[in-house]
Amino acid sequence: MAGEKPLDFAREITNRLGGETITRCYQCGTCASTCPVARTTERYNPRQIIRLALLGQRDEVLKGDSIWLCASCYNCQERCPQKVEIADVIYALRNIAIREGNIPAIYTEFAAGLMSEGRLAPISKFLEKKRADYGLPPLKPTGMEAVKKILAATGFDKVMFKKEGASQ
Amino acid sequence: MTARKGSSKESKGKVVRRKRREMKVKTVEEAKVGVFLSDCGGQIAKILDFEALTNFVKTVPGVALVARGSEFWRGEGLKTIVDAVKTKKINRVVVAETIPKISEIAIAKAVEEAGLNPHLVEVLDLKDHCAWPHRNTPREATEKAKAMLLAAIEKAKLLEPVEKAEFPALKSILVIGGGIAGMQAAEDLADMGFQVHLIEKEPFLGGLAAKAVRFFPTDDCAICIQSPATDLKTVTQTSRKCVYRSGFSEIPNLSVLTNAKVVKVEGGPGNFKVTVERKPRYVDEKKCVACDLCTSVCPVEVPDEYNAKLIKRKAIYINKPLVYPPAYAIDAKACKFHECAKCVEVCPTKAVNLDQKTEHVTLNVGSIIVATGFREYDPSVIKEYHYGEYPDVITHLELARMLDAFGPTGGVPVKPSDRKPAKRIVFVQCVGSRDRRWNPYCSSICCMISLKHATLIKEAYPDADVTICYIDIRTTGREHEYYYEKAREMGVKFVKGRPSEIIHDPATNTLIVEVEDELLRRLLELEADLVVLATAMVPSEDAKELAQILGIELDQDGFFKEYNAKLRPTETKRRGIFICGGAVFPKDAPTASLHAHSAAVKAAKFLMNGKIVKDLKVAVVNEDYCGNCQFCPVTCPYNAITLEPKGDGHFVAKVSELICEGCGVCVGTCPVGAIELRHLKPSQISAQIKALLSINGTSKPLVLAFSCSECGHAAIDSSGMGMMSYPANVRVLRVPCTGIIQVQHILEAFKAGAQGVMVVGCKPDGCHYEVGSQKAQKKVEMAKTLLQACGIEPERLEMFNLVFIEGDKFAEAAKAVTERVERLGLLQLA
Repeated sequence: MAGEKPLDFAREITNRLGGETITRCYQCGTCASTCPVARTTERYNPRQIIRLALLGQRDEVLKGDSIWLCASCYNCQERCPQKVEIADVIYALRNIAIREGNIPAIYTEFAAGLMSEGRLAPISKFLEKKRADYGLPPLKPTGMEAVKKILAATGFDKVMFKKEGASQ
Repeated sequence: MTARKGSSKESKGKVVRRKRREMKVKTVEEAKVGVFLSDCGGQIAKILDFEALTNFVKTVPGVALVARGSEFWRGEGLKTIVDAVKTKKINRVVVAETIPKISEIAIAKAVEEAGLNPHLVEVLDLKDHCAWPHRNTPREATEKAKAMLLAAIEKAKLLEPVEKAEFPALKSILVIGGGIAGMQAAEDLADMGFQVHLIEKEPFLGGLAAKAVRFFPTDDCAICIQSPATDLKTVTQTSRKCVYRSGFSEIPNLSVLTNAKVVKVEGGPGNFKVTVERKPRYVDEKKCVACDLCTSVCPVEVPDEYNAKLIKRKAIYINKPLVYPPAYAIDAKACKFHECAKCVEVCPTKAVNLDQKTEHVTLNVGSIIVATGFREYDPSVIKEYHYGEYPDVITHLELARMLDAFGPTGGVPVKPSDRKPAKRIVFVQCVGSRDRRWNPYCSSICCMISLKHATLIKEAYPDADVTICYIDIRTTGREHEYYYEKAREMGVKFVKGRPSEIIHDPATNTLIVEVEDELLRRLLELEADLVVLATAMVPSEDAKELAQILGIELDQDGFFKEYNAKLRPTETKRRGIFICGGAVFPKDAPTASLHAHSAAVKAAKFLMNGKIVKDLKVAVVNEDYCGNCQFCPVTCPYNAITLEPKGDGHFVAKVSELICEGCGVCVGTCPVGAIELRHLKPSQISAQIKALLSINGTSKPLVLAFSCSECGHAAIDSSGMGMMSYPANVRVLRVPCTGIIQVQHILEAFKAGAQGVMVVGCKPDGCHYEVGSQKAQKKVEMAKTLLQACGIEPERLEMFNLVFIEGDKFAEAAKAVTERVERLGLLQLA
């Protein structure tokens, strides 16, 4: 851990919305044990992400893919005995990663769709037919102008496309 | 606006009141001050010019005598003072002496023997407060010494005698709670000759320890107390016995009331009148011979709470085998009384009396010890562990009952669902404790309880598969780590990880514990027959109600609040009421005993003379100014002040002379100056402010430092003792507690010529008078606002919170404030 400044990274996270509670963690493992994603893949373990973050392993946390695997089910947050807002901490970490251009390609694609169509998922003829089969009304236009305005006002466009595909 | 319970009936020190009236005549006398200058065997005379000091003191009006010597607090020096009092009719004594905290006691005592009131003595420290810290500027130091002497003389001239008062103290004590701690305290005190009343809310003594069976780390019976010594020769041959054989009942001045609780407390320390409500037992303890005939005929069966409801008991019952009193009791909720009355018919000694009524007993006691213990937290609120839903998820106390050979399963851990022996047992640590959702604190004993139960099971059933899931194993007591080691040797498995869920598989009637083994970084599913929750230990259910009745405080977690764990262990804010054992915080049996001994000593010390004698260094109220505001009663750290009606809906503050500790926090709080300390009048503070700032003699601007007598003054002492330098323009005025300081004192200092003012007190949370330091900080903030409004830089005023070992910080602060004030330039007062 030589050369790392663990406190700096922890402070960076606690200063961000959602990251305030990370230092409460005492590594009991309830989050990992209750996490449906951790159950299916060894690539994601919320306890380990928090541990790495608190030890100042900034690059390992932000450049890897693991923070993007959280399914936001909030099981961990519900059961954490220290009231660490784990899912929100993961969001805070994602926000830091995005600002630094560490975005998995799939998220850039979603963002591009949102910018051009106003939707995360593209609408195909097949999808429209399915909706009709289920008796659902046809989709209305998304009001692209308003969406673009909002996304520009929040700075979403700049954040997402400053460094395209910097992370795989 | 109700008066606090009890204070009105407090006893008065009658004898002394007469004396005080006599003394009032004497105070009219003109002050004749004798000043005694110790040069510490010539040491400090190398720095301070003692001739100049002597000549200076001679010119001060009111000084009748000046003497110089090498020490004045013992030997020949002390004789000089005594002679001066006796023959030269000196009636105020000012002594410049080192270690004033010690020397002033010796001098006051000698002066008292010579016929002068001991409070007419003022001691100042020219060594640590002047010569040593200013040794590099001897001329300046001498000028400061003059100011210090002048301040002491001016204060001395205004000193008034303070008399002693006597308050009755009944040599009898009430102990509330019949667990380990309560029994131990009761036994200690009864052995010392006090009349002790021990009350217990249950029908039997023993508390939690009796249910827990054994205690760690020796695996002894939990329910042992030290045997009484008084005249019980047969018992004293062994050092320790379980309570039911300890001779407890035979201690002459001990009375035990079971099924009892406190409902009212009146009076005050030394003389409480306690009303105890005693629910009927329906069995005469003196007649019952515990023959068991009654239970054999009793037709009513109810779940046995003592045995974690694992078995049933009759409506008439006794807890086995460790029990006191050895007499049956009837469960009023279950019994059918006269509809049945079979026990009455069968009882050979006619001990059963179904017509017993609730009675109220009044006890007059000098002090009260609270030992109401703690209880297991009900973990059913933690939904993911399914306690109360899955029968095979149990708590430690329930397991303890199973492990008792006399218990419901004869010592075998079983699955409550099918009563089959449990072979795979998983313990879950920190259930409801160290958990911000329920109880944030560590319950401190659950790790050891799990280790105890795991090893007891492994000892009896080496093939049992025992796993402990933990976050941290805490084995901090003596021998406790060996206990942990033993558990590992015996094959107890440890998984570092807190389970997230307990699942029940109905097909196999097996429990599955989901946990991450953090060290392997692997998710485990542990199969178990029995899951034992190491639940939090929480305050007893009636703690809140009892605290209200007694007028004492609970801490943030709901336990009884100890005044200060180091300085005043087992004491509460209310004098004469002590607390011990698990009522203060979860404890193991040895620690609870230890704590109980401490409470017993405190209570004994308080009452041992049958009277409480104290100097009346207390606050007094001027009723002409005082009225209707609640500031001082609310602020007093000792609850010593009440509001008393004076007719026409008018209330005035009344200080309990017995309870008041003379800190002066009330003085600092009073908005109209209606309350003052008998031993430090406002006029004495003003006189010192003026005197200390009347002589500068240095090239620097004057700075006045108000310091408390505790940590603040100690820090200043230590900077001098450590020969740390700070400039001689800094002058120190000592008050009992910085809480006494009012905004006007600070303004007065500026008006008298101070260019900067420091307030030096204890740490905000370490104030010896609890809130004084915090109150002072608020005054400082207020004064800063006022200064700013007057166009004076608020940076000229600052509060410092220091302790004894921070003498260096005081020296630095004194330098820093001086430099800051120099930079700001001369203060311009309109």
